[in-house]
Amino acid sequence: MTWLVWRQHRIQFLVGAALLAAFAVLIVITGVQVANQYHAACAAGRGCHAGSGLFLGSHAVGFLIISTLGAPALVGLFVGAPLVAAEAEAGTTQFAWMQSVTRRHWVAVKVGWMLLAAAVWGGAISALVTWWEGPNNALQLNAFDPGRFDIMGTVPVAYSLFAVALGIAAGTLLRRTLPAIAVTLAGFIAVRALITLLLRPHYLSAVTVFYKVTSNLRPPGSFWQVASGIVGPNGQAIDLNTNGNAVFGIPANYLPASCNQVSRGAFTPPPSCVQAASHFRYFVTYQPADRYWTFQGIETGIFLVLAAALIAVTAVTLLRRDA
Amino acid sequence: MIPIHEVPGSALPGPAAIETSGLSKRYGKVSALTDCTVSVPEGRICALIGPNGAGKTTLLRLLAGLSRPTAGQVTVNGTTPRQDPAFLADIGFLAQDIPLYRRLSAEDHICIGAHLNPRWDAESVRERLTGLKIPLDRAVGKLSGGQRAQVALSLTLAKQPRLLLLDEPVAALDPLARRNFLGLLADAVAVGGLTVVLSSHLVADLERVCDHLIMLASSRVQLCGDIEDLLAEHQILTGPRKDTTAIERSHRVVQITRTPRQTTLLVWLNGPVVDPVFEASDVSLEELVLGYMGQDAEPALAQLTTVGEEQ
Repeated sequence: MTWLVWRQHRIQFLVGAALLAAFAVLIVITGVQVANQYHAACAAGRGCHAGSGLFLGSHAVGFLIISTLGAPALVGLFVGAPLVAAEAEAGTTQFAWMQSVTRRHWVAVKVGWMLLAAAVWGGAISALVTWWEGPNNALQLNAFDPGRFDIMGTVPVAYSLFAVALGIAAGTLLRRTLPAIAVTLAGFIAVRALITLLLRPHYLSAVTVFYKVTSNLRPPGSFWQVASGIVGPNGQAIDLNTNGNAVFGIPANYLPASCNQVSRGAFTPPPSCVQAASHFRYFVTYQPADRYWTFQGIETGIFLVLAAALIAVTAVTLLRRDA
Repeated sequence: MIPIHEVPGSALPGPAAIETSGLSKRYGKVSALTDCTVSVPEGRICALIGPNGAGKTTLLRLLAGLSRPTAGQVTVNGTTPRQDPAFLADIGFLAQDIPLYRRLSAEDHICIGAHLNPRWDAESVRERLTGLKIPLDRAVGKLSGGQRAQVALSLTLAKQPRLLLLDEPVAALDPLARRNFLGLLADAVAVGGLTVVLSSHLVADLERVCDHLIMLASSRVQLCGDIEDLLAEHQILTGPRKDTTAIERSHRVVQITRTPRQTTLLVWLNGPVVDPVFEASDVSLEELVLGYMGQDAEPALAQLTTVGEEQ
């Protein structure tokens, strides 16, 4: 069976491998440059901040890296969706299933190799991107941001497995390649968006901290900010949507008149103004930086469970349905 | 009631390669096969004949285990069709639309077969296709329809099954290729250990090599049995236009054709015809099949299905 899978899908395998290789070469060459600049900047004692020069000249690479958000979908569309659908369309299941191989065996080997291929695809891309973005994460402290969280760590592996399983299941149920590709694309985007927007912020309950507005403190590391705002001396919420002037982020209409001088161009607020402002608290509701791998693990788990469910649907459908 | 015939060679029919009883298959509200009870002894070449949509493909797919019956039993090579390598190894099935991987070559298919089957005669396929001047290394999608059919047939034979189920196998072949292929089948059966069922809606394709017949119409079995027996049991009676109730009382009339001058009856004999007014003549397979196709399926005919197997 493995030989059949290889013979049938070797072009897909080779195209996938070639794309991965080209991506790897590009990422390694530019990534070494980025890492060298970063370490040079660190050695120069500028707090590792190389300024805007650090990633200069790599906009194309930056775009390519962001676009790896879509890489898991590719494997679902071009490997998963046609896997069963193309055979059903061409009638070749009737050839394969009349050899001395049970359908269970056929499904297990075909799906098994495709899952492995998807995991390698997602894993290799993620490993390269995670490495390339290392200095960037350290500088910007933004590894948790939606759009960055999704292209690094373990989640791209789970997305790829989910995408290929979704494609296989859609192809099995619809038995036609093009509709299966359409359903896979729509389904993948919908599930990813829903989980990113609705579920991910709630994997663990967010932490809220309060700081004096005059303190300039922030949570440590690469935290994920869920919400922020200012509360007044009595704990009342402050409406920050104002067209007027603001001092320490507090709209001037909440503060005594002495603060108005600040907004007229004086850089140092008078003590009475600081005194008034110090009763206000700045709060940040956030997921702490040390939860990064917990979140990666939870999201990976969710997509692995979804992928397993889709594979189960595929197997049950193929084994029960008439050929 | 059922006539007993002493046909040499069929007095001791071997074990059945195929036995079905009350086999039915429904797709939603459409009945593709209804109450099908047939039996084909081992070593036969059985013609599966019927008009388009009669249920031939449905029956073959049920026998191959590709689909599951809605009701009834089916036994093939002594067991119920199931997902088991040993069962599958003994069945060769070629679907009507000749499913092959269009981008792969014949040689690729030979290798697939070698990997997936316990018995596999790769050399016979190469020999046969080379003899037919069919390139082994060209994608089968680029071959002509007839060449593709030859590739698929050769691959099905290379599996060396005990039961070969072929759905319209010769439809894509030219007349000479048909004759050669059917000859090949007859040779393979003569060697022993092989039973063949091949479907067609054309009697002429099959009557040269087949010694057994299953006839379907409107999803029901019309006839099943040894062809020689069936031909001996039926006669065509031709006579002046007159009352035929006497004949209908003692024989089963399959079909009556009346013209102003004469009446022609296809009858299933139940003893000799005594009416001197009617002239009896032997029936050809084609006349027999057309006679049964011309009438609607009637459950009463189901008893005929056992004729071939009566001692």
